[in-house]
Amino acid sequence: MLVSSGLVSSGLVSFVLGQVGRASSDVPLLTAAVVLPAVGAIATALVSRRRPESARMVATLFSVATGVVTVAVLVAFETGEADFQLVEKYTWIRDLDVAWHLGVDGISLFLVVMTGVLFPIAMFGGAPHHDAKSFYAWLLLLEAGCIGVFLALDLFLFFVMFEIVLVPMYFLISGWGYANRRYAAMKFFLYTMLGSAFMLVGLVATAVLHARGSGGDLTFNVLTIANDQGSIAPMTARWLFLSFAIAFAVKVPLFPVHTWLPDAHTEAPTAGSVILAGVMLKLGTYGFLRYGLFLFPEASAWFAPAMVTLGVIGIIYGAVVATMQRDLKRLVAYSSIAHLGFIALGTFAITTQGLQGSVIQMVNHGLSTGGLFLLVGMIYERRHTREIAQLKGLQASAPIMAGVFTLVMLSSIGLPGLNGFVGEFLILLGSFLTRRWWAVVAATGVILAALYLLWAYQRVFHGEPDEDNAGFAEMSFREGMVMAPLVALIVFLGVYPKPVLDRIEPSVAALVAHVEDGSDFVEPSVAEAGTDAREETFAEAEAAEEGSGGEGGEDGEGGEGG
Amino acid sequence: MTLGLLAQAGDGVAPIDTPGVAWSALSPILVLIGGAIVLLVVGALAPRRSRIGWHAMLTVAVAGGTIAAVVPLWDRVHDDGPYSAVASAVGVDGFSLFVTVVIAVAVAIAALLTDGYLRREGLEGPEPYVLMLLSAAGAVMMASANDLIVMFLGLEIMSIAVYVLAGLHLRRRRSGEAAVKYFVLGSFSSAFFLYGVALVYGATGSTNLVRIARFLAANTLADQGLLIAGFALLLVGFGFKVAAVPFHSWTPDVYQGSPSPIVAFMASGVKAGGFAGLLRVFVATFGTYRLDWQPVVYGIAVLSLVVGAVLAVVQTDVKRMLAYSSINHAGFILIGVQAATDEGVTAALFYLAAYTFMVAGAFGVVTVVGRRGDGHHHLDDYQGLARRQPLLALVFAIFLLAQAGVPLTSGFLAKFYVVEAAIEARSFWLALVAMVSAVVSAFLYLRIVLVMYAGAGDGADTDPAAGRPRLAVPAAAAIALVVAVAATIGIGLVPDPLTRTARDATPELVAASD
Amino acid sequence: MGQYLPILMLLVLAVVFAALSFFASRLLAPRRPTAAKSAPYECGIVPSREPPERFPVRFYLIAMIFIVFDIEIIFLYPYAVIHRELGGFGLVEMAVFVVAVFAAFVYLIANGALDWGPVKHLRRVDPRVSTSRTAATTVRRVGLEGREPETGEAA
Repeated sequence: MLVSSGLVSSGLVSFVLGQVGRASSDVPLLTAAVVLPAVGAIATALVSRRRPESARMVATLFSVATGVVTVAVLVAFETGEADFQLVEKYTWIRDLDVAWHLGVDGISLFLVVMTGVLFPIAMFGGAPHHDAKSFYAWLLLLEAGCIGVFLALDLFLFFVMFEIVLVPMYFLISGWGYANRRYAAMKFFLYTMLGSAFMLVGLVATAVLHARGSGGDLTFNVLTIANDQGSIAPMTARWLFLSFAIAFAVKVPLFPVHTWLPDAHTEAPTAGSVILAGVMLKLGTYGFLRYGLFLFPEASAWFAPAMVTLGVIGIIYGAVVATMQRDLKRLVAYSSIAHLGFIALGTFAITTQGLQGSVIQMVNHGLSTGGLFLLVGMIYERRHTREIAQLKGLQASAPIMAGVFTLVMLSSIGLPGLNGFVGEFLILLGSFLTRRWWAVVAATGVILAALYLLWAYQRVFHGEPDEDNAGFAEMSFREGMVMAPLVALIVFLGVYPKPVLDRIEPSVAALVAHVEDGSDFVEPSVAEAGTDAREETFAEAEAAEEGSGGEGGEDGEGGEGG
Repeated sequence: MTLGLLAQAGDGVAPIDTPGVAWSALSPILVLIGGAIVLLVVGALAPRRSRIGWHAMLTVAVAGGTIAAVVPLWDRVHDDGPYSAVASAVGVDGFSLFVTVVIAVAVAIAALLTDGYLRREGLEGPEPYVLMLLSAAGAVMMASANDLIVMFLGLEIMSIAVYVLAGLHLRRRRSGEAAVKYFVLGSFSSAFFLYGVALVYGATGSTNLVRIARFLAANTLADQGLLIAGFALLLVGFGFKVAAVPFHSWTPDVYQGSPSPIVAFMASGVKAGGFAGLLRVFVATFGTYRLDWQPVVYGIAVLSLVVGAVLAVVQTDVKRMLAYSSINHAGFILIGVQAATDEGVTAALFYLAAYTFMVAGAFGVVTVVGRRGDGHHHLDDYQGLARRQPLLALVFAIFLLAQAGVPLTSGFLAKFYVVEAAIEARSFWLALVAMVSAVVSAFLYLRIVLVMYAGAGDGADTDPAAGRPRLAVPAAAAIALVVAVAATIGIGLVPDPLTRTARDATPELVAASD
Repeated sequence: MGQYLPILMLLVLAVVFAALSFFASRLLAPRRPTAAKSAPYECGIVPSREPPERFPVRFYLIAMIFIVFDIEIIFLYPYAVIHRELGGFGLVEMAVFVVAVFAAFVYLIANGALDWGPVKHLRRVDPRVSTSRTAATTVRRVGLEGREPETGEAA
């Protein structure tokens, strides 16, 4: 809700807040955003085991404080700037030129804010049944790692953060998960670590070859390496991109390496699933943007067809498999694969719209899938089953929950007016420019999403409840408070995404320009792209922009087109 | 320094040319051996059992004294450059001093662990400490040897003491088995080493590393067969000591059978000595012939990485698991050797230093969990440890995750540096194999962690280990574990001091000025 | 090659001498064996059965300690011959060597390596060996058996 208030404010209010933000720019906000949860984890771990309530309080305090810091970052963020802002740099390991180097741009900004908002919600919504202290400590450590990944501007720091998130998640799944949790935790850890193994080699090779090619000293500074294209031979850069891509593809996950995801999501405790889907999958997609496109523009453009294909396969495959699921949580997990396929498609379309759509879709997916996992968790709390077949007619006894579920689900499907539409529309638009047929196939994924989610909804909530489901309890006030910010954000981003898109757009445009500089790829302009059909779409978009404010999705796109 | 004044008393006899002994250069070794002798004599005269573990305290003090002896030498090397003493037989450079400190630390930690162990098993006495100090002296000698004969002496002193240590536990049959196995195979490998020394002498006309290096740099051998054969045999000798595949077959049995705190020393101190010798002989001395031996070390490294990781996975005995994983770690350090560059040496040294804490700490926990009789090392014995003793489980988890290479621990940086060295040397595939093997062995570490943390979510009634007694952690062992954890995390967070020290510590062969 | 010739000669001579003595005694010595003569010699006591195959470890211990000091002497003799030429260096070297051996000797004495009594005086007990078996009991048993009349048939 803090986010929404920050976004709604316009004119004077935003000016005042901006001043506050600028005044506070002396304060190392980004370091605070990373360190605060880590300190919170230690503080929580030091609380006595016998007092789970105080552990809970300390943890909540720290996670809310972190959320406030991320919102302060949002406020301090200068709209319209493409470069990294609030940059902080402190030397860490001198002889490797590794630095505690943090910075935020339009791409990472909303991911950080989403992380800051989603963690307190996950904490409230997924309270553990035992050993609360360790649970919260791990969760806070996880938050520190996730924010660190989004903010890191140093390859080494990035890798450290990227890897460190595995440990808390591993313990969360194996300690507080469901029946098959050990297997799932192990699978999750090993899959991701295998990907990271490739990335580590690629990452070191990048730094070393860059130093050799440029004749300078060894450095792990992302900006230095990315802005010094040509120091690494194109062919080598493709191999390096591949090594990074394997790690990110596992994390996203893209189609052939996705098998850890259903297990991990299903077996993880509710808070774990929310964070896994909401934040941790974004580490991969964000990685593609920052360490794929930005670091290896030429290789990214070269690999784009393959990546886009994998994305589209993910969309269709995820949707088809989700349709066949009998377990509600597994269904949501597979829907994640489909959504992440969209994000991959938008990313490797390498158009401003596509990238914009990808970034905002990362946020959207965090909100809507996080919300769905919370709701599934609530259903499980009551019925101790997630089997769709055993749930029936919940609408009768829990209309409010059914309503919330409907809204979140529709956001996930991509109904216009809700946030999911903005992202998917921009992605399809952006990818249509460069990869027409892929976009066409991907569009069927939207329809499939409607199919499996609505069908599941129908089976679970409609009909006459049998005796098992008759006593299904309505959403409690606490649960309502957990869902409220998510619902508010879902509606807000669907109706008025302009402030978000405005902040994303410059950085994304700069990224596309960076790719164009580094490779022979040229972003097709919407105006000269061609066929009647597309011009029609474009005209519609412009018309919608003139109408202004109504249908949010076109709004942002229109700003780009004009 | 020469104590040759007395020689002038003799009239009319031609004095034999004796080398000057720079006692200061030998001071770390002298402190270790002197400490061992003092401990031996005093320990023999004083009562064997005592309430306070003064044997261990004295050993730690000797280790501390060794480090204190290194400090002035380090300053001197830093200011005036490396030098050698005792007729070029002993080299004093950053490398030897660095390894000396690592070995001294290994001795201190192992001694702290041994104290509680001996009390628990009713085996009190000064002998284990004496042998440990002597073995450490041998390892230091290997690290600072500038002559193959001196290196062989160091190797033997180090090894023989450890053979006896392996059989320390008189009532455990496995302990005796380990000692015999280690002894027989170890002497075999020493013979290989000695033969290698002979062949290298035959090819180059000297056993002195400085002269060998100079000879190889200045001359082209018409027939390299002898030299290459010498390389091969020396490599077998070193490969055995550092437990590299295919000379590793003793490792699991010996690690499993030997008393756990002794294994902590074997895996840290002895390994450090072996690698120090390997680096000194191959990288520093035979550097000009690196194209001949690099492929072989490359192959051994790959084998160690793969075999160590894969075979560890199928074990159910924690000590055997750690034994195989130590083979995997040896493979990692061999990557640094294989690079044969300054970066490689730095990486290997960093790895050795970091690994010393990790592995000594891990075997420290194993010592505690082993309980009386030192026999409870099955995976099942770790079941639910997190519930009964969360702190001990957490400490073990930290050591295991550090060995797996999780960031913010020393293990990650160690692997990072090794991979960096490999990539600098353009061994991309080796780096990749190493990291993939790290993932495989991560499975094994996680398996132990999983077992420890198992049952946490099942409710109290299903705890399979509910009836087990609480494990007693002796105070000395607790100190050792705390130190090891602090170092593992501390190096992971602030690696700069260690890195810079390791960078200064490349081996340099310098002939004696006298 | 020429420099190694004396060594080779010495080797050959040693082998020839050993072989010569062996065969000479075979050929020349008179041979009148009796049961008593062919029995193993045990301090004049008539053996009643096969001699024990295992000696108490104490015997070996003594032998080993003896060898250590033997070696010390071997080192000391040459030093004594050229101690002038070696000068101070040699003195220090020998001192170090002697101190090391002496420390070991102190350790041995303190741990009862030279105590020749029942095991209970020793500080370290190896429980795998029966406590009732000592050097003393072993010697006594052999002695008694030799004196028992019904086993005297060999005499």
